[in-house]
Amino acid sequence: MLELRSLSVHYGAVAAIRDLSLSVDAGSIESIIGSNGAGKSTTLRAISGLVRPTAGEIWFDGGRIDHLESKAIVARGIAHVPEGRRVFPDLTVEENLLIGGYLRRDRVALRRDFDEICSEFPRLAERRRQMARTLSGGEQQMLAIGRAIMSAPRLILMDEPSMGLSPIMVSTMAQIIQRINRSGRTVLLVEQNANVALSICDRAAVLERGSLVLSGTGAELKDNEHVRIAYIGI
Amino acid sequence: MQILIDTLLNSAMASAATALVAIGLALVFGVMRVENFAHGELYMVGAYVTWYVSTDLQLTYFSALVCAVLFTALIGAVMEVALFRRLRSNPVGCLIVTIGVLLVLQTAAVWFAGINRTLLVESPFPGALRVSSFALPWHRLFVIVAAIVLMLALTWLLRRTMFGWAVRAMAQDREAASLQGISIGKISIAAMMLSAGLAGAAGGLMAPIVRISPFMGQPVIITAFIVIIMGGLGSVEGAIIASILYSTFFTFVSTYIDSTVAAIAGLCIMLAVLIFMPSGLMGRTEKV
Ligand SMILES: Nc1ncnc2c1ncn2[C@@H]1O[C@H](COP(=O)(O)OP(=O)(O)OP(=O)(O)O)[C@@H](O)[C@H]1O
Ligand SMILES: [Mg+2]
Repeated sequence: MLELRSLSVHYGAVAAIRDLSLSVDAGSIESIIGSNGAGKSTTLRAISGLVRPTAGEIWFDGGRIDHLESKAIVARGIAHVPEGRRVFPDLTVEENLLIGGYLRRDRVALRRDFDEICSEFPRLAERRRQMARTLSGGEQQMLAIGRAIMSAPRLILMDEPSMGLSPIMVSTMAQIIQRINRSGRTVLLVEQNANVALSICDRAAVLERGSLVLSGTGAELKDNEHVRIAYIGI
Repeated sequence: MQILIDTLLNSAMASAATALVAIGLALVFGVMRVENFAHGELYMVGAYVTWYVSTDLQLTYFSALVCAVLFTALIGAVMEVALFRRLRSNPVGCLIVTIGVLLVLQTAAVWFAGINRTLLVESPFPGALRVSSFALPWHRLFVIVAAIVLMLALTWLLRRTMFGWAVRAMAQDREAASLQGISIGKISIAAMMLSAGLAGAAGGLMAPIVRISPFMGQPVIITAFIVIIMGGLGSVEGAIIASILYSTFFTFVSTYIDSTVAAIAGLCIMLAVLIFMPSGLMGRTEKV
């Protein structure tokens, strides 16, 4: 479904990712783990067109997307839940969700997705008229995910959704991601919290200083000694 | 008593005109982070277009007003496409470019209509409303009503429509807005057109009651900057409230004391707001 071919991104002269190749199968949860500055966010930002790759190609559903504007990429069915949630603080919860469907014109389906999100996240439904800035961190993360779902994506990119959440909220988030995936959406999940990511993903890759160093199924990587020492801490 | 009534009416009219100019300035600052120093000249161009269309072309005042809005909105669009777009990551460059536009528009006005002519625009509402012994000039009432209507329309647009949410989303987090499929370029054009068109409308509305000159935008833009700083940079509601407070204060002080004192006091109030409420009257609660 998504394929990165020898992708490199530079900020000025510094390479943030180098010669990265990765593919994500339709219907799966694929995860990238890595520590601070490994290039996880940069990878997702390149996929959504927020930064331009300096080399390599990005293919989505048989089309090349690395030269497209973010708008066209959203329209093709890729949503991005950015690092740090980035909800619109001075829009209401409802407006945040509706703006997620900015490019859609199918009002009926839009309404159905909106109602689905409200039943999936009752805490958001209760706070519909509140400004997003007044939500807790976990609620804001749900809102960011709900906003992404509103664009009717086939692939959702998630950048550290468990960042700054309590342990209980982290496992709730894991369940939410699995439910999103079961309803037919492919997920590319980026995490520092390797334990959770490896438990819910089908396949995973380890990113270190901009390059992939390991990949395999979630279970394989969980047993890998390097991963255990560097990312799980046991 | 007539003086008090006059001053009240003048305050309301000054508030209306200032607010129309200031909200456009605030909108563009909020959405694009550009301080448009040429904004006062868009007001001036609005007055010139109104004069030209209503006298030289001999169309009605209302057609002239519409032309003023369209023409200034067009200038706004051109400024975005030709200038700001190329300087997106260069705020100082944008600022310098707006000063360039300011000079170009002033020079164009001088070239177009000369500098020493008295340009008169006839109001479609001559005379005054008489209430017992007081006279309320019709055109002043019209300016107030028109400004209120325009501001309500803008508020509705920003708060109740998908377009408005997109504009506000972009002001709040440009990158997150791109991720929703919002086109930064299109919203910037729309914001510049709205902003410039409102300034043009203000110029056209005031054309029958102010002296039209190539430099008439200067005091207006200074007031507008004071007002948007007081109102919390980038906040449209803040700009409206601050316009009313500032213009009322200014009008009363210059009528009853002296206009120089009023100008100095106005700047002192702005400084006080900056010191005691650094993000402005509305800065904390709400942006664009
Ligand atoms: N806008 C930028 N300008 C310059 N360098 C940048 C920029 N954004 C990221 N970098 C650099 O690129 C590298 C990768 O950053 P990136 O944000 O992709 O890492 P990450 O894996 O997401 O880290 P984290 O877990 O801390 O979010 C880092 O060395 C970072 O300093
Ligand atoms: Mg990151």
